[in-house]
Parts: sequence; C-alpha cells; structure tokens
Amino acid sequence: MIATVLDLVNLNKSYGVLQATADLSLSVERGQIHALIGPNGAGKTTLINQIYGSEIPDSGCVFLNGENITGLSVPKRVRKGIGRSFQISNVLTEFAVIENAIIAEQARRDESFHFFRPAFSDQDLIAGAMIVLERVGLQKRSGDLVADLAHGERRLLELALALSGTPSMLLLDEPMAGAGFEETLHMTRVIDGMRDNVGILLVEHDMDAVFRLADVITVLVEGQIIASGKPDEIRANCEVLAAYLGDEE
Amino acid sequence: MDLFKFLWTGVKEQQMLFGLLTGFALFPIYTAYADLPFWNDVAMRIMLLGMAAMGLNLILGYGGMVSFGHAAFVGIGAYCAGISQFYGLNNGWAHLGLSLGVCGILGLVISFLALRTSGIYFIMITLAFAQMLFFLFVSLEQYGGDDGMSINRADFMLFDLYNPLRLYYLIWSALLIISVILLFIVHSRFGVVLRAINNNESRVEALGLSPLRYKVTGYIISAMICGVAGTLFASWQEYVSPDIMHWSRSGELMIIIILGGLATLAGPLLGAVVFFILEELLPELLNLVAPSYAENWMIIFGPIMIFVVLFARGGLMGWVSRLAARRMSDHGVGQ
Repeated sequence: MIATVLDLVNLNKSYGVLQATADLSLSVERGQIHALIGPNGAGKTTLINQIYGSEIPDSGCVFLNGENITGLSVPKRVRKGIGRSFQISNVLTEFAVIENAIIAEQARRDESFHFFRPAFSDQDLIAGAMIVLERVGLQKRSGDLVADLAHGERRLLELALALSGTPSMLLLDEPMAGAGFEETLHMTRVIDGMRDNVGILLVEHDMDAVFRLADVITVLVEGQIIASGKPDEIRANCEVLAAYLGDEE
Repeated sequence: MDLFKFLWTGVKEQQMLFGLLTGFALFPIYTAYADLPFWNDVAMRIMLLGMAAMGLNLILGYGGMVSFGHAAFVGIGAYCAGISQFYGLNNGWAHLGLSLGVCGILGLVISFLALRTSGIYFIMITLAFAQMLFFLFVSLEQYGGDDGMSINRADFMLFDLYNPLRLYYLIWSALLIISVILLFIVHSRFGVVLRAINNNESRVEALGLSPLRYKVTGYIISAMICGVAGTLFASWQEYVSPDIMHWSRSGELMIIIILGGLATLAGPLLGAVVFFILEELLPELLNLVAPSYAENWMIIFGPIMIFVVLFARGGLMGWVSRLAARRMSDHGVGQ
C-alpha cells in the first residue's frame, strides 16, 4: 500500500490580478522525492509557503497524513510533521552549530518551556543534537559559530534543523542554491539518504540534481501544472522543454 | 573542545556579576569605617536601579523587545506598597506579593496586546501604556496625585527596616535572589529560545515553537522583577509619586542597560554603578569649569553614550570581555 503524506486539493492563491497558484492539486507519497520545477515566478515558493503555513490559500485544502491542516499556524504544522528549508539560509546566526541543533532537539521533545533546566550544557540534548548533525555530516563543525560556516555548510545545517523534528513531509526550497559543485554532490547524497519514511517536495533549479533525485517531477508554469510524471517522461516532453529547459539551452 | 569556549564566556560574566554583588555586600563595612553612612543610601539606589534594569534586560537584551515603558512597572510596584499602606496594610511581604501579582497580570495584558506589533510600533505601544498608567496615578487625587504620598518603610516582620543596614541587606538579598533566578533563566531552555527569537524569529517558528508564548512569558517575568524593585524603592524613598514612572525613567533604565551591555547579566548592574558615578561626577566637574552649566551634565553624558554605542560595542561588559580575551591570548591561554 502506498501511503500519501501530502495531499493538495484545488489550491488557489492570487495577488491582485496575478494568479500565483491556479486550482492546483498534487500529492506526495512516503519515501518519494517529488521535484517541482518551472521558470522564475511560476509560483513554486508560494506553493511551498501555503503548505508550510506562512501563506494561506484563497481556497482549497492542504492535507497532511489525511488531516486537514489548512487553517493551522506554522508552529502547529511543524509539530504535525512538516519540515522546511528556506531559499535563503535561515539559521540562528548568533549561535554555535551545536546550539542550533540543541534548540531544535528541545523543540522536538517539547521540552522548551522550562525555566531552570539548562539547555546548552545538557548531555542528553547534546547527544540528540549530535545525531542530527551527523546525518548531514556537520559533526566536526559542531563547536563553531554559524557565522564562521561556509555557505554550503549553512545549507546543510538548515537541512539538519528541518530533519530534527522527525518530519513526515519535508519541503526543500532550493537547497543547492549558491552551492559549489562538490557541495551540490554532497547535498544530493544527503537528500538521497533522507528519503526513507518521509515525503520530500523539492524545488530546485539544478537540473542534474533534480533528475538524479526525483521519483516524480512536476512542472509548474504560471501557477498551473503543465506536466507531471517520471523523470524520463518529463525529459521527453517537448512542451516542458519549450517552457523551461529550452530557456537554458 | 570549542564547546568550552562558550561555557567560559558565561563563567567570566558570572564572575563579574558575583564580584559586583560581593562588592555591594561589603560596601557598608567600608562606609562604616570611613564614616560615610550617606553612601549606603546611594548604594541602595544603585542596587534598585540595577535590579529594575536587570529585569528589563531580560526582554530588551536577551529577547530583543524594546519596551519603552518599563518604569511603569517600577511605579506600579511602588504604588502597591503605597496604596496598601494607605489602607492600613503595612506588611512588606504582602506588598511584594501584591506587586508580583499586579505586575504579572499587567505584564500579560500589555505584552499580549503590544506583541501583536514589532519594531517601532512595539516601542510606541509600550510607551503609550506606560503614559496611560503615569497619568492614571497623576489623576488619582486620594493617593496624592501629582505630589505623591509619603509612606513609612514597610514592615517585613523579622527585619526592622528603620535600622538602615537591615533595609540595605534586604535590598541586597532581593538583588542576589533575582540575579540567581536570571542566571538560571538565561541559560535555561526557555532562555535560549528567547535569545533564539531575538536572533531569528522565523527559524524558531520553523522549529515548531510559537514565539508569542515565549515573548509574553519573558515580558511578564521582566515586569515582575521591575515590580519588586519598585516595592523596595518605596521603602527606601519613604515616598511614592508618579515621577518614578515618568517616561524619562524608562529611558534611564535603557541607558543603563546599553551602557553596561545588552544581553549580559552583570551589564545592567555595572551600568547602574557607572551611570550613578557619572551622574554625581559630571556636575562636579562642570562646576569647576563652568559653574552655571553644572546642572546640564547631560551635555557631557550624551557624547559619552554615543561613544559607548559606537566604539564599545556590547557596552562596558563587551569592553571588559574583550580586554580579558586579549590578556588571555597575550598569555597564550585559550589558543
């Protein structure tokens, strides 16, 4: 049996005359990497935002594991199992790498509302945080300040923070953006290793990475799905080439 | 391991805090020896100002919420003592309890409304609430209105506060307890979330935590600490008037924090000491140079503040810790 993690039903979102999401339906299954591609302004990030909860659709519903989460706030959705990485690195820049992971770990355990229990010196939290950092290969940088990290390492930390909540649905908004060749390869391996037990919606411009990772690719143009299918089918689809891939070649 | 680097910076700050507290504990011995009992009074005022500033610093420095009306809570704390006494209740512990309760509830209401906004709007709304409370007490004629009301020192049962040293050590004990509580809070799980919100609110949301809950709670704790400072202030001054909740008093608290160092435990206390020394010293200096300008000591104080903000980032505590770091590296420690 295939378990559907995320189900979007007839989502609509417009800003004035601009239709950012047009009657869009889509679903992501457990263990599946679903890539979302399309030209700039196609409404990819807007769609991610509506799933994440920072933007509310004008109409339509978002289901997570069969539960309607359309009206929930961001923190509530995260606690229900949505994890997200942002297009622009969004980490705690004034803290150490391990401290970022520790705060994520205490949030996951729902043990944040304690006024006398220490955080950064708690061995239990440190151990939990290190496990998450190891998953993305950042354990060696644990003691460093985020300000001292390279761009690619920040992307990895962001991924670690998204993972630490043990989400059932991961939204990755251009995780490779600005990363170098080696970093992209490493990131691709890391994302590939995460796919068990989680559905992943991946927005990415790096087509090599997309075709290597994705089980399903959906092409979005002006808020509408113009094609959706296995990578090979998409590669063969002329309409897509014209709308998107063609621009680059 | 590098992790110790972070613990170490924490320890250094605690040394500074407990050094200052020890200094205040021993100060009456010096004044007795030097026969300067007046200075005990001064030290008490510094401790009370420092206490209120420490309370405000929890949200201003650690939480990044610029509340421009915290003197209102100091005033509410003082009026809790004054008005209770007006109706014949002179038990100091009851005053403190009442002050904690009233400031807690007011803190909840004000922050819950004010935290719907942020940035400049938050500053303005907290100021507006403080001004409302200020004018409320100005208009309450039965409690002295503008002129305020004279009160007796509260009765703390075991301590007779008319023995000056008893009041001194009562204030000192309160400062010690609040310092220890804050020390725990800023390193607690709640405390790190509050600091994380200051750094990057959307990341905290993305971790599944609701920032409002932490901000409101921080605001309440901070209001309660200011309330305690105000209640003790009433006993020290033996007089309560709306003057202590004037907006310029809120500004004074903020100046003390910025001077001492935002988001440090010892900073507000150190800032209160230095602020007071400058407040005493600068008029004297001006008196020597240009006697008619002595009361305008702020003319000198202003540029000093600008200097601190521009060049001593992190205030006096930032400056102290940079000096300490330099000395450590000169001796090859911590490399």
